Amino acid sequence: MQTTTSLLTTQPAILPDMNKRAGKYLIFNLGVEEFGTEVLKVREIMGLQDITSIPQVPLYVKGVINLRGKVIPVIDLRLKFGLEPQEYTPRTCIVVMRTRQADEDLMIGLVVDGVVEVLNLMASDIEDTPDFGPGVATPYLTGMAKVKGRVKILLDIDQVLSGNELQGLSALLQ
Amino acid sequence: MSELAANIDLAPLADQVDEISTRLILNGVATLCPTDFERLSQAAAALGSCSPVADAAHRIAEGIAAALSLPIAEQTRIASSGLMELRRLVDEPAANKQSTAPESSRAQPETSSGIPASSSQSNSLAEDEGLIREFIAESSEHLAAIDNQLLVLEKDNSAAETLNTIFRGFHTIKGLAGFFEFTEIQSLAHEVETLLDLARTAQLTVTPAVVDVLLESTDVVRHELAAIAQRLAGETPSPTQVDAALLERIRQAASGEASCLGPASTAIPPAEEPTAIGPALQERRAGDAISIRIDTLKLDQLMDMVGELVIAQTLISHNPALGSVSDARLQRNLTQFARITSDVQRITTSMRMVPIGIQFNKTARLVRDLARRAGKQVAFEATGETTELDKTIAEELSDPLLHMVRNSIDHGIESAEERIALGKDPTAHIRISACHQSGQIVVSLSDDGRGLDREKILAKARQNGLIEQNGPPLSDNEIFQLIFEAGFSTANTITDISGRGVGMDVVRRHVQKLRGRIDIQSTAGQGTTFSIKLPLTLALIDGLVVVVGQQRYIVPIFALREMFRPTPEMLSTVQGTGEMAMVRGALMPIVRLHRRFGVEPRTTNLTEGTLIVAESSGRPFCLFVDDLIGKQEIVIKSLGPRFKNVAGVAGCAILGDGRVGLILEIDGIFKGRAS
Repeated sequence: MQTTTSLLTTQPAILPDMNKRAGKYLIFNLGVEEFGTEVLKVREIMGLQDITSIPQVPLYVKGVINLRGKVIPVIDLRLKFGLEPQEYTPRTCIVVMRTRQADEDLMIGLVVDGVVEVLNLMASDIEDTPDFGPGVATPYLTGMAKVKGRVKILLDIDQVLSGNELQGLSALLQ
Repeated sequence: MSELAANIDLAPLADQVDEISTRLILNGVATLCPTDFERLSQAAAALGSCSPVADAAHRIAEGIAAALSLPIAEQTRIASSGLMELRRLVDEPAANKQSTAPESSRAQPETSSGIPASSSQSNSLAEDEGLIREFIAESSEHLAAIDNQLLVLEKDNSAAETLNTIFRGFHTIKGLAGFFEFTEIQSLAHEVETLLDLARTAQLTVTPAVVDVLLESTDVVRHELAAIAQRLAGETPSPTQVDAALLERIRQAASGEASCLGPASTAIPPAEEPTAIGPALQERRAGDAISIRIDTLKLDQLMDMVGELVIAQTLISHNPALGSVSDARLQRNLTQFARITSDVQRITTSMRMVPIGIQFNKTARLVRDLARRAGKQVAFEATGETTELDKTIAEELSDPLLHMVRNSIDHGIESAEERIALGKDPTAHIRISACHQSGQIVVSLSDDGRGLDREKILAKARQNGLIEQNGPPLSDNEIFQLIFEAGFSTANTITDISGRGVGMDVVRRHVQKLRGRIDIQSTAGQGTTFSIKLPLTLALIDGLVVVVGQQRYIVPIFALREMFRPTPEMLSTVQGTGEMAMVRGALMPIVRLHRRFGVEPRTTNLTEGTLIVAESSGRPFCLFVDDLIGKQEIVIKSLGPRFKNVAGVAGCAILGDGRVGLILEIDGIFKGRAS
């Protein structure tokens, strides 16, 4: 009890944030790196299907797919993160997420190399993102989780998609 | 009565009546005596021409004196009914003055819904936002009906049923406005009602001047409704237009002093005859059906869901696994399923359909106003008002119609003198018609004016640099299409109505937005006809599905002219302008869709693919694709806010196999071909 109180008084800003970060995460991988995203925002995981490409958009925007009558955009997360493009494999899948962009709920599909598992992460498992030094902007990383010796990078998917890139995308489309 | 209202302040009388009724309620009838009423009668008489009040007060005083021997209950009844009568007499004229002196909020028209109209306009609108929105919608409908009926009335000023309909409309608006405490609308509607009542009881002849005042009133009520909507949206409403001058004009019209009219009408030379209205309009309301109001958002959702249903049904019935099934019952059920699906789709689509007549009524009103302002004699005829089309399209049509009517009246139709000199009927005719034609709706507006001046348009276009000085000869249609260019006007003078060259540009933009096209036929000296061809609904289009590499695209049928596989001798490369194809003697530029959209095609050899001849702003060009799949009816979907500005893509659709196909926007593809 005593310790909790002192924690509250010394680090009032961090504690609620830490609690907010705890919860269930969907873990997927891009190459060897593993990423986690809040499971509550995941609507479904589907195998790769025909993606209709859209002209004049950045490379990482793969196009649109038909999700039970709804047309949703699909983004290749590899390309979005500036990783090497890779041939799609049978493990490649589309994670459909609900994101909030500019006060509007938007469904979006993310192409990832594969889905690993769903993890229940405690606040104690999660550490803050280390400072990677100047030039490495990490606004869409909410933290790092270390589970069984492996590091998972936790993503704030709203930030990933609403970053300057997508704003740049809209500007490009004007 | 209206003279009373104009001249006398009845407030002292109302105070006396109030005082008497307070005593009756607080102290009982015993404290009242006939002299109270006699005093009132004298006061009323002293005020001058207020004899009805004086007479009534005197009569009541006598009644109470005679009833002194009766039981208390009977005496109370007589006294209170007398007071009610007095209050009505005193208040009614006072209510007419209410808006000129809003502080006398006590005054209340007895005929209203009975809820006191407080002057607290800033009541919390948000509380009954839904109700108020419904009030706005309902009132707007009433106003549209009233406008329509007024035009009928102007033609036949003895039509009792028409008068009744107008009266009922205003009465409903008044009642509702009273309920929501919109005092401006209420007092205006009340004034109009008084006027209409006189006309109804044949104490007043309906002259064009009276109709003018009534039409002005509907406009003002519309303005007020818009202001309420603005308040709901949290904006600062535009100031009220209900002012003493307007109410005064209505009262003057009611007392037959129609000579002194409002600013809008004084400008009109009083020479012309009233504008005629198509007889068919009069009977339109006969077929009113029972209906309910539905949020259009829900309808749109339903449309979407039905679209999914159709796709799901197509996917099932085209499933290859079904080919090996020979179960007769399953086949029967699937056929039944398909039939029901298409029925549901048809009905859902029809739910958004409204008769175009509502737009025509607006046009009738417009023709009348514009013709009067231009001092021209114009008869308006409408046919095909029952033709149905999508509500959104019907609403979007009002702007193009407005500009086309303006154009006709200002440029097309000659003045009466000119027409007589030309041997024409001095009354010009504007005809509007609508009909269904091969899955489209065709709205045409024709006048019998002077027609378009081919040479003048050509000269102006050369002057503006729209066409080259020594360019190839143009067809009539190509020349007439020039009037749709922005800023193009051949009018010698700019009038209040038109001549700034913005109008026709707006027409074409609207029509194109609705995925329609507009054509002009014109004969010099005989008139002009504009025909607008529009899809029946915005949710579905007929499209040609084409293939480029792995991708499917949809070309809207309305943009298509023909398609063919070129032979080598049809193709040529023109230095500096790229590839061209010779189609029946005309050279057309070729746009390669794969290059335009950056996709890997199956072939880059023009003779191995297909050329589609499409039209961009009247100029044909060829679009090169790999192959054609076929024509399909397609449910249009938006690509969402992210991709709404992609040049050359108008939207997307889910094809029969569940894949997404992009709908091409032909203009965008042609315009962006250089990049």
